[in-house]
Amino acid sequence: MLLRNAKIIFNKPVSAELYHMGLLCPDIAAKIQPGQFLMVRIQDRLDPLLRRPFAVHRLYPNDPPGSFEMLYKVVGRGTQLLANMQRGDFLNLLGPLGRGFRLPQDKGFVLMVAGGIGIAPLPYLAETLAASGNKGPFVLWFGGKTSTDLVCVQHFNDLGFAVQLVTEDGSEGKKGLVTGHLEQWLTQQDELPKVMYSCGPYLMQRSVAEMAARLGIPSQLSMEALMGCGVGACLSCSLRCHPPKGVQDPHYANVCQDGPVFDGEEIFWD
Amino acid sequence: MANDSPISLAVELGPLRLKNPVMVASGTFGYGQEYGDLVPLERLGGVVVKGISLEPRSGNPPPRIWETCGGMLNSIGLQNVGLRAFVEEKLPLLRPLQVPVIVNLFGNTVEDYGKLAAALDGHEGIDALEINISCPNVKAGGMAFGSDPKMVFQVVSAVRSETKLPVITKLTPNVTDITVPAKAAEDAGTDILSLINTVAGMAVDAKTRRPRLANVVGGLSGPAIKPIALRMVWQVIQASNLPVIGLGGIISVEDALEFLIVGARAVQVGTANFVNPQVTLEIISGLEDYLLRQGLKDINEIIGTLELTR
Ligand SMILES: Cc1cc2nc3c(=O)[nH]c(=O)nc-3n(C[C@H](O)[C@H](O)[C@H](O)COP(=O)(O)OP(=O)(O)OC[C@H]3O[C@@H](n4cnc5c(N)ncnc54)[C@H](O)[C@@H]3O)c2cc1C
Ligand SMILES: Cc1cc2nc3c(=O)[nH]c(=O)nc-3n(C[C@H](O)[C@H](O)[C@H](O)COP(=O)(O)O)c2cc1C
Ligand code: FES
Repeated sequence: MLLRNAKIIFNKPVSAELYHMGLLCPDIAAKIQPGQFLMVRIQDRLDPLLRRPFAVHRLYPNDPPGSFEMLYKVVGRGTQLLANMQRGDFLNLLGPLGRGFRLPQDKGFVLMVAGGIGIAPLPYLAETLAASGNKGPFVLWFGGKTSTDLVCVQHFNDLGFAVQLVTEDGSEGKKGLVTGHLEQWLTQQDELPKVMYSCGPYLMQRSVAEMAARLGIPSQLSMEALMGCGVGACLSCSLRCHPPKGVQDPHYANVCQDGPVFDGEEIFWD
Repeated sequence: MANDSPISLAVELGPLRLKNPVMVASGTFGYGQEYGDLVPLERLGGVVVKGISLEPRSGNPPPRIWETCGGMLNSIGLQNVGLRAFVEEKLPLLRPLQVPVIVNLFGNTVEDYGKLAAALDGHEGIDALEINISCPNVKAGGMAFGSDPKMVFQVVSAVRSETKLPVITKLTPNVTDITVPAKAAEDAGTDILSLINTVAGMAVDAKTRRPRLANVVGGLSGPAIKPIALRMVWQVIQASNLPVIGLGGIISVEDALEFLIVGARAVQVGTANFVNPQVTLEIISGLEDYLLRQGLKDINEIIGTLELTR
């Protein structure tokens, strides 16, 4: 776990609400794994007070060396301040934090599912997967409210992914919810994926986990919670999970430490 | 170590000696390991661990936290690993370190407090007990103990009679007159007072008309509560002869100095650890710089030096 100042190398909108931010921080870039996150101190001020958690969206080993990118959605005060920051400004980062995605044991079919800003941690996972010698097939199912939510599709195509798009308003791809179309599609495939990776809103995650369990596919879900510390010190970021043997019920895991990536069957859905 | 330095930050709180007056507060620093090598624990004046109960506790359902203006509300619900796991798994990691370890404890009944104190008394590596009579989160205990002076007396007596360790009683600010529970704790034989715990609070989402915390109410901490904490520390200093540990909203060396000047012999830092994990280290070196700038050599030269004449 490192505490570092990172220099902003770019900060540009990709839609009305979504921004890409490039950060230069070789020490963190060298260590962070797909699905791990950073606690970002947006400004040196008392209000907003707490750090905000963000995933690494893409890692750039050479461009410049030691840099990476975040994808963030402006939802409140902290992310609005982030959107106002300029190239050359510094952000204080704590990380890498948490337990990230694990690559599948066996090579072969990998399925990713993203809802909205849940796409954020998946490109770095996809890059790592493609570099691991796995030849796929790779498929991404990506859902959003509307077409402008569906960012970085080209990058997935470049990495050899077949991308299926879904929007709630039908402005791009299929109309409806990702999880509404996914199971039918899955049951039509000749083989099932070795693993399903998913990130998105709670209800989507729940559908994905339940679907994966029905079909006997291991699932890894990146979960969200409101966070105080990001390191396991405050016990704020609870997610109800099935208790391990000998542990009392209800059992609350720390998303920041035991996650953010959980196996689908660990989570108690309520 | 500090001995070669011309500046001394060492303080004495009755039976408890600290190499400097800056500790981390209970519930904000886990069991001491969570921040890894970012904070060498041996540099701290002391480590207060997350509150321990006889049995493990699950805590409250989420959401458990909500950020407010200059602070945060929490309703963790005293989730903890319980006495046995603490002693077997957490304490051995702290024991070899040259840092005072203070165990924060709480119970559902007066007897629980006594049993916990007795069970912890025999263990090497514990330097003091801090009684949490003030947590506003748990329906069964917390609130009732801290705000009723008779209960404060009983709880502190129960702990006092079961341990030879220094006993710190941590007061809740959710009372009309803070000197009343302070006196009750003093009468029951506490060695030290620490204050304040979190201030009872609440937040609502106007869009959904739901409370922000699943527990509806929670405890406010962080810079927003500092003036309340400072006023209460000042009141207790005037009403009691016991050494006082001040906390509530400290995030800078100036904040820590305010508490020391008012008369606290040491401070604890809580929520600020989340904002800047190394804030305690910065406060410790900031205190040295302050003494140097003031031409002083010993932190005790500023403790209780509030200047009231105009
Ligand atoms: C492990 C993890 C990784 C994340 N990665 C990304 C990412 O890569 N890109 C991205 O855009 N967002 C990500 N988030 C969510 C992001 O942290 C929040 O959107 C952000 O903290 C909101 O800050 P704010 O000050 O703008 O909002 P606030 O003004 O604080 O609140 C506005 C809204 O955001 C929600 N919110 C606030 N804090 C959090 C939080 N910690 N987690 C979830 N929701 C929150 C609140 O419930 C509220 O509805 C991640 C969250 C987690 C837990
Ligand atoms: C997340 C969280 C958990 C806490 N848990 C405990 C606890 O277990 N026992 C206790 O006595 N105080 C607990 N506290 C209170 C703090 O120790 C401290 O008294 C309070 O937060 C005020 O200090 P601060 O403003 O520096 O945070 C907790 C506070 C927070 C924010
Ligand atoms: S955010 Fe503090 S324990 Fe997870």
